[in-house]
Amino acid sequence: MQAPGKGRWAWLAALFVSSFAFSQGERLSQCAACHGPDGNSVTQGVPSLAGQPQLFLENQMILFREELRRSPVMTPILAGMKDAEIVALAEHFSKLKARPVAQSPSDREVARKGEALAKKLRCGVCHTANFQGQKQMPRLAGQREDYLVSEMLAYRDGKRSGGDTIMAAALYGVKDEEIRALAHYLSRLP
Amino acid sequence: MNLKIVALAVSTAFALTAQAQDKPKPPPAWHQGKPPAQAESKLAPHAGKMTETPASQIPVSKLKAPKGFKVELWASGLPGGRAMAVSEDGKKVWVGTRSIGRVYEVTDEGGKRSVRTVIDKLNQPAGVAVNGGALYVFAIDKVLKFNDIASNANAQPEDLTAKFDLPKEQHHNWKYVAFGPDKKLYVPFGAPCNICELPSDEYAQIRRYNADGSGKEVIATGVRNSVGFDWHPKTGELWFTDHGRDWAGDKGFHDELNRLSKAGLNFGFPYCHNNGTPDPDVKKEKACEGMAKPALLLGPHVAAMGIKFYTGKMFPKEYRNVAFIARKGSWNREKPSGFDVVTVRVGADGKGGKITPFLTGFNESKEAYKFWGRPAYIAQMPDGALLVSDEQVGAIYRISYGSAKPAAKK
Repeated sequence: MQAPGKGRWAWLAALFVSSFAFSQGERLSQCAACHGPDGNSVTQGVPSLAGQPQLFLENQMILFREELRRSPVMTPILAGMKDAEIVALAEHFSKLKARPVAQSPSDREVARKGEALAKKLRCGVCHTANFQGQKQMPRLAGQREDYLVSEMLAYRDGKRSGGDTIMAAALYGVKDEEIRALAHYLSRLP
Repeated sequence: MNLKIVALAVSTAFALTAQAQDKPKPPPAWHQGKPPAQAESKLAPHAGKMTETPASQIPVSKLKAPKGFKVELWASGLPGGRAMAVSEDGKKVWVGTRSIGRVYEVTDEGGKRSVRTVIDKLNQPAGVAVNGGALYVFAIDKVLKFNDIASNANAQPEDLTAKFDLPKEQHHNWKYVAFGPDKKLYVPFGAPCNICELPSDEYAQIRRYNADGSGKEVIATGVRNSVGFDWHPKTGELWFTDHGRDWAGDKGFHDELNRLSKAGLNFGFPYCHNNGTPDPDVKKEKACEGMAKPALLLGPHVAAMGIKFYTGKMFPKEYRNVAFIARKGSWNREKPSGFDVVTVRVGADGKGGKITPFLTGFNESKEAYKFWGRPAYIAQMPDGALLVSDEQVGAIYRISYGSAKPAAKK
């Protein structure tokens, strides 16, 4: 998530509910408002969480809470959240089944280009061969295409804060259209 | 045998160089320098843990130390905690972190510890050092000084960033910092890559400054990534650990223990490693000529971090002036190495070094990565006990000897 205006629902959720204490059920419906009831997002610019490695989700929530990964939407939601609740939420979403969400029509040629690029850049070394992610490294398979594009651009251009510098280095010199091809390919994987 | 490995690496390096040429310049990256032979390797840096690990989930009983020593959990609830700076009275310990961006303060009162966060939201504030009552905090891009923090919990930071001339690249520029016997502040600046020609002469070096940031002086160059040092109790010379380059196979290169016998020495990076092995990727004529050699090789990929020459009276006499070194543990190696604290007995002239495991049990297999903890730094308390920080579970252990009074339960 990034610029305001990308997910109106997220703003509303943040405004209305951030000042209360939650049961986990309430908290989960707060997450679901933007990330989808089954953790597969149908909201533009909002990532799917289903099937993400638990540690990856924990780390991102901590980074939001600590304002190291900056997001006007996520930081208020995470503000003051205890580690134990973050761990429980991460565990919940990591166990949901990921599925690609329908977006733009598929372009076989772009997808093929993306596949070749993913191989060349050796994305699978960390994100695993079928891009399901592991430990601190996210699942890419079936992630929203628009989200993959915006985050890869942000990494490459040094605009995504928090975390290590690894992705900036991995995407060094990769062109915009190559990033779009990667996202097109990855977002359609099971 | 080592020569064969080097020859292989050199021959494979040409292919790599050719491949890298379709980009404007090599990216500063942990995986830069990976040879084709390891192209499909699944090795990647281990995940840190940014959530609190409850004391009940820290299996301190699995840690083994020599007979007569006692290991106990001294503090927990410090996710990512690594370098420690101890106040002069030993009542407070400040602890730096990387990813989570915090500096913690552990207060020991009547044998009970409390933990608070002094400052957060910083960019890898790994460096902490104490000078009188003041705490210095070094993030990658910021230097803060908390005057009188030992006596005033509300001390506000003074921003000294502009005085220290920090370069812009971030990789390997998280810090270990400490004041030397000369009252100067010693600060390392790592190479912003695994292996590369340096983008400028601001990197791969150790500098010292006056406490206010004036008087900058580069005292060692060719230092890839040092995140631990101490001064020899007898000679007052600086000894520092240095991480060797990655992607050169399980056997190379070693992390080093170096002795700065005089200011201005060059320790070889990026052209020359260890005891005179030229780099397989970044080459120049007579790569090792005039380069300082390490006092001791500490093991391939072990991630040698904190070093402390023991000067206390609690441990048996044979530990006096012995270096304790935390080896956080490898990632760039099929078979794990490190994951322990070792003692190094070495002459003050750097000769005859010997490594002996001291604290083990962090990794539960010799063949595979089954670790639960990663020892990072060592601090000596006024009573002579040692503290060892564990960056993985965010905890500090206390190591005492004999009938020394145990620390009360947290």
